Amino acid sequence: MEDFKILEIKTSVFADNSIQAGKLREELKDKKVLLLNLMSSPGAGKTTTLTRTINALKDRLTIGVMEADIDSDVDARTILKTGAKTIQLHTGGMCHLDAEMTRQGLEGLDTDGLDLVILENVGNLVCPAEFDTGAVKNVMILSVPEGDDKPLKYPLMFSICDVILINKMDVMPYFDFDMEKCKANIRLRNPNAIVIPISAQKNEGIKEWTDWLENAVNSWCE
Amino acid sequence: MHELGVLNSMVHTIERIVKEQNVTAVHKLVIEVGELSGIVPRYLEQSWPAASYKTFMEETKLELIVIPGIVKCKDCGRVFNAVYSDLNCPDCGSNDMEILEGNDLMIKEIVCN
Repeated sequence: MEDFKILEIKTSVFADNSIQAGKLREELKDKKVLLLNLMSSPGAGKTTTLTRTINALKDRLTIGVMEADIDSDVDARTILKTGAKTIQLHTGGMCHLDAEMTRQGLEGLDTDGLDLVILENVGNLVCPAEFDTGAVKNVMILSVPEGDDKPLKYPLMFSICDVILINKMDVMPYFDFDMEKCKANIRLRNPNAIVIPISAQKNEGIKEWTDWLENAVNSWCE
Repeated sequence: MHELGVLNSMVHTIERIVKEQNVTAVHKLVIEVGELSGIVPRYLEQSWPAASYKTFMEETKLELIVIPGIVKCKDCGRVFNAVYSDLNCPDCGSNDMEILEGNDLMIKEIVCN
């Protein structure tokens, strides 16, 4: 009969990822680079919003982009046209990025001279919320066609974000989307979240968002 | 596949722990799965052979303990199971609540030698 011992651990399954993410954030602080983790459902407008964001800020900030997808490089090609330094990451079937994959991406991108790196995470409202990537700020996009009830259905995603961009405001008349109800649903999960309505397509509301982002970069790099 | 990524992360966490504790073989893992963690126990069990494949835990058994999703209504103070009440307070109907238990996915025990 073998002697077994029982280690009473009581540690989160995500503990190792959280440690890696914390280390990454410290390194980014030393390098004065703000890493932003941008999340949303597929088709909510991450790439279009990103293009608008880069165009609004590229005269004042040096920006790098990591495009994470399960496959293809269509998003990276779109972003490259803005002139921002861009790399495509493939998750190999995984539905999210973790801290180690983010680190590898940052090494591939080379953050020297960059003020801001935006990670466009895999389009998904579940898994990316579970894994701390090491990002300094978490931002998500909820688009009007998805509905105002999403904060109730995906509570974790809404609870971890600093900013929630409500995109596709231009199609509001065609959808049954109640902005006040949506804001109230967000507040239930995250009273501190900043909610900014935008239309990436029409380039509306972008200034409020990029002002917030520029301030965040400046205070992180102080 | 959400649960597979979660288990891959868990393998890394346990790898670090067993190195620190000089463990030679892991026989069983006891995992607490909160009902509000967004993790489906059945999918964890199904993904485990793939997540542990060609790792030091290929022979390791997985034991799951489900932790009830207990919340407290922020409006009337009633404490209840959020899953069976469909995320609404059975007394006042409010959906503003504080999670007391069942939000986590925890490694409870590692049975090893």
